[in-house]
Amino acid sequence: MDVSDILAAQAAKQKAVTVEKEIPLEVDAGFLTVTDLNPIDAESYNEDVEDYLKATARDGVQALVSALFSLPTTSSPDGPLAKLPPPTTQLPRAKPLPKPKPPTKWEQFAKAKGIQKKRKEKKVWDEEKQEWVDRWGWKGSNKKEEQQWITEVPANADADHDPVKAARDARKTKVAKNERQHKQNVARAQGSNASSAAPANSERKKQIDRTLATTRASTASMGKFDKTLEGEKKLKGVKRKFDPTEVSASAEKSHNLAILQKLDREPAMKKAKSSGGHDVLNVRKAIRSASKGKGSAALAREGGGGKMNKGRR
Amino acid sequence: MLRTIKPKNARSKRALQARESKEVEDPRTAIFVKGTHTGEKVNAAMKEMMALKRPNAISFSKKNTVRPFEDASSLEFWAQKNDASLFVVGQSTKKRPDGLVFVRMYDNRVLDMCEVGVEKWVSMNGFKTPKATPGHKSLMHFASELFDTHPRFVQLKSLLMDFFNGEVIDSICLAGLEHVISVSLGPTPTSLNTATTSNPLQPSTSTDTSDSANLPTVHVRVYGVKLLASGTRIPRVELNDMGPSMDLVLRRHTEPDQEQLKQALRRPKVRKQDVESGLGKKRKNMEVDEMGDLRGRIHVAKQDLNKLQTRKMKGLKKGRGDAFDESGESEHEADEDAQPRKRRKDS
Repeated sequence: MDVSDILAAQAAKQKAVTVEKEIPLEVDAGFLTVTDLNPIDAESYNEDVEDYLKATARDGVQALVSALFSLPTTSSPDGPLAKLPPPTTQLPRAKPLPKPKPPTKWEQFAKAKGIQKKRKEKKVWDEEKQEWVDRWGWKGSNKKEEQQWITEVPANADADHDPVKAARDARKTKVAKNERQHKQNVARAQGSNASSAAPANSERKKQIDRTLATTRASTASMGKFDKTLEGEKKLKGVKRKFDPTEVSASAEKSHNLAILQKLDREPAMKKAKSSGGHDVLNVRKAIRSASKGKGSAALAREGGGGKMNKGRR
Repeated sequence: MLRTIKPKNARSKRALQARESKEVEDPRTAIFVKGTHTGEKVNAAMKEMMALKRPNAISFSKKNTVRPFEDASSLEFWAQKNDASLFVVGQSTKKRPDGLVFVRMYDNRVLDMCEVGVEKWVSMNGFKTPKATPGHKSLMHFASELFDTHPRFVQLKSLLMDFFNGEVIDSICLAGLEHVISVSLGPTPTSLNTATTSNPLQPSTSTDTSDSANLPTVHVRVYGVKLLASGTRIPRVELNDMGPSMDLVLRRHTEPDQEQLKQALRRPKVRKQDVESGLGKKRKNMEVDEMGDLRGRIHVAKQDLNKLQTRKMKGLKKGRGDAFDESGESEHEADEDAQPRKRRKDS
């Protein structure tokens, strides 16, 4: 079977869709743009402008289209979708980059503890109704207790105990707490933005406060019977400081491991004793029996003296 | 300046949120403004450019006394009010007939401007051919070496790309490629040719004086794209005139402020998942070969041949056993059988 003509036909087809230029065309597939950096051919330009422009445009578009059609595609109901690479040309943005949102107190805590964010489903399954209901909001499941027609009352309840009101109050306090925390977060975020000149100022203030406290306590009665000025606050002692509850997970781990290691280790006293006990020879007892209860010093003296005497004789 | 608005209800909050700056930006909206006097040519050009830019285009139908090169304050106001970052201001005066000013904004302030004069104008209606569907993405084609070398044309290219194709998209429907906007220049004048090749730093003074006179004409053509079957995966392209087509001459311009431009060119940090998929950084030791298969290269430390596990036999055991027996032989045969199977799995 001769395939040469098939190959030739294929090559001809290939040739029709490839573009040969002195300077290869720059294709930016991300922006669907092609740039032809070859200089304009003045001769053919002057001959017929429109034809020349169309011809160069065709070449450029052919190159761009072949680049686009050779990209990896996914199918869709409207035809193949080509996955575009990120653009290579740098174009200026219309707006500045968004600033990162300041983390909330919880987010800080979660980060320090290494807690992963868990997405809570908005709907929960209601066994009685046999359908999905919202956790909160209109007909939310958090209002179930307030709306049920009968409620169990605890035995020690007051005479005016209103279970519906109690449930509602509990829910409302939760909402209020969340609102309060949100406000605090907003205030903290604003504070962190505005605090630039604060450090030097606060340092000085602390110094003055300390000096004032010392002078107030340096009378004979340690300030107890002094005249107080209006608006002067009572002196407070040193407050106990505790380690923060939120430290990073790694710091907490190493701290706990250190405690465990301490527990694992034998105490120094016990160790010394046990090492003495394991010996075959009890040195203390041996000395006592050798010196007949006179102690190690006497034994040393006697032994040394004895030897010397022997040598002389 | 507009006062800062605090949203009072959820709808206005959403509307304001949509206007906030984003990591990946929305397409730029263009506002088409008529100056104190616009000729027929300018009106038509603006109208049809708007047709190409749709749906991200707003038209100001009334005349405005606006001179972008002298006072840009009203442009800045409109930009903020309409959440737009591109302007086309049409103005026809005796001194500068049929002028179009392209203005690009950054952070509601003017980044750069470029004025062009419309020399020749053929409307879309001048060609009796099918038109592209409004809202379809256009292809762009630039032809001339000046788009890489001459600062005026580099700016023009950047402006036009931002105008028509500035949106970053991750995929495109190949069947929806319907038209191409082709921007090509006239033959490069010899003065520019020598200037760009001999000493590119010097001619800034000389080009400023005889600036617009010397620059070649800009031909903007819009062609419809026909994709013909070629027998291969890649179709053959044929173009037909769709219009509008215009010839432009460059006039005044302002360069972007360097500090502002630096801010505007800042890129967001690439997200982790993007890095993993290889968009952010170059993936090391991985490549996609011509067949589209992902191939990896692994670097292994130098092999210790003393620890190499060779054929397991009783006879080769260290401790005891000096004679080969029947079971050893059979084991060896079983090994031989197993190996080719393994190899077949590998390939």
